[in-house]
Amino acid sequence: MSAAVDTNGKSERELMREEREIAKVYLGRVPWEMVAWGIGNFLVWLSLWPLVFLGILPLWAGFLIALINCSLAYLPSHEAQHSIIAAEGTKLRWLNDLVGHVSTIPLAFPYRVGWLTHRRHHAYANDPELDPDISSRGETWWKGAYNALRDRQPGQEGGYAKAMQDCDDPGRDRALVEAAILRTTHFAVLAVLAWSGFAIEACLLWWLPRHLGFIYLVTFLSWAPHHPMAERGRYRDTRFWKSPVGRVGSLWMEFHIIHHLYPKIPLLDTPKAWHALEPLLIERGIRDDRANASVSDY
Amino acid sequence: MKGMEVLRVLNDWGPVLFGVGFLAPLIAQTMEATGVPAPFGWPPITVGLGVGLVGGLVAKVRRSWV
Repeated sequence: MSAAVDTNGKSERELMREEREIAKVYLGRVPWEMVAWGIGNFLVWLSLWPLVFLGILPLWAGFLIALINCSLAYLPSHEAQHSIIAAEGTKLRWLNDLVGHVSTIPLAFPYRVGWLTHRRHHAYANDPELDPDISSRGETWWKGAYNALRDRQPGQEGGYAKAMQDCDDPGRDRALVEAAILRTTHFAVLAVLAWSGFAIEACLLWWLPRHLGFIYLVTFLSWAPHHPMAERGRYRDTRFWKSPVGRVGSLWMEFHIIHHLYPKIPLLDTPKAWHALEPLLIERGIRDDRANASVSDY
Repeated sequence: MKGMEVLRVLNDWGPVLFGVGFLAPLIAQTMEATGVPAPFGWPPITVGLGVGLVGGLVAKVRRSWV
């Protein structure tokens, strides 16, 4: 725990400097655990296919493991999107991109589209017009998940499609091509397997876990930390909250406010950074919802 | 840009392609695995193709599966 913080009489600049000095301690580490998480999770998911097809693993068990794989697939790529593993131009940049691309294959989610849209989310969090994740807004988690699912339906011009249309990043076209290749490949694999007599296996190892994993991720990575998505501003667009399924069950998203304040702090260091910054952030007027959340919120 | 145009057309017809390419065999194989008989003595894949095609067209028009 950091020393007590007295904000009285301090200027905005002094408070910010103090906050950054504390946060700096948690910046700069290569999160090797996220590299192992991302690559390992993908390899486990990939191994399910031969194991199930050879009859070594029953399909129901393969489905449950695939469900866990899909639920765990996004966050390592998210670290890569923020260049936390390795910055542009550094020796390990290839590893950063490898983790970014590979870890989200079970979700068939394109890394560069993820990065471009996520950058916009950080810039415009909770903005009804500009935040690509605003579609997960809802009174309850299931309404939020349903709204997000509806937003991603074919032909919808929802948050992600709009964000990519509006995007002026030079890497936009490359991101769109990669997304098209990934999406086409995903569908082609499902169709070839299905017409070869393995439709149920394709459904339970990829199609269904992907959709259920998506609902889980939307609930805990977007809906819960930003709920009710009504406020904007550095200290108000996300919150500190207590998850009914604990820190791990909510993928460390109780500390999402740390991520929005300092996006380059590795995910697993956000709890430590929260404890160090907590007194200062409380004084700054963050949304501290640990005592306010009721079961009905979920 | 020809490739992008092809992708755009494929994307527009995505729900129908999904209905025929994946849902149809999935429905047929699920019927076979669970012993659910097809009506009128049809083969299960006929039912799958019917449901997949109609479902895909409806999703294309509605621009939503849900």
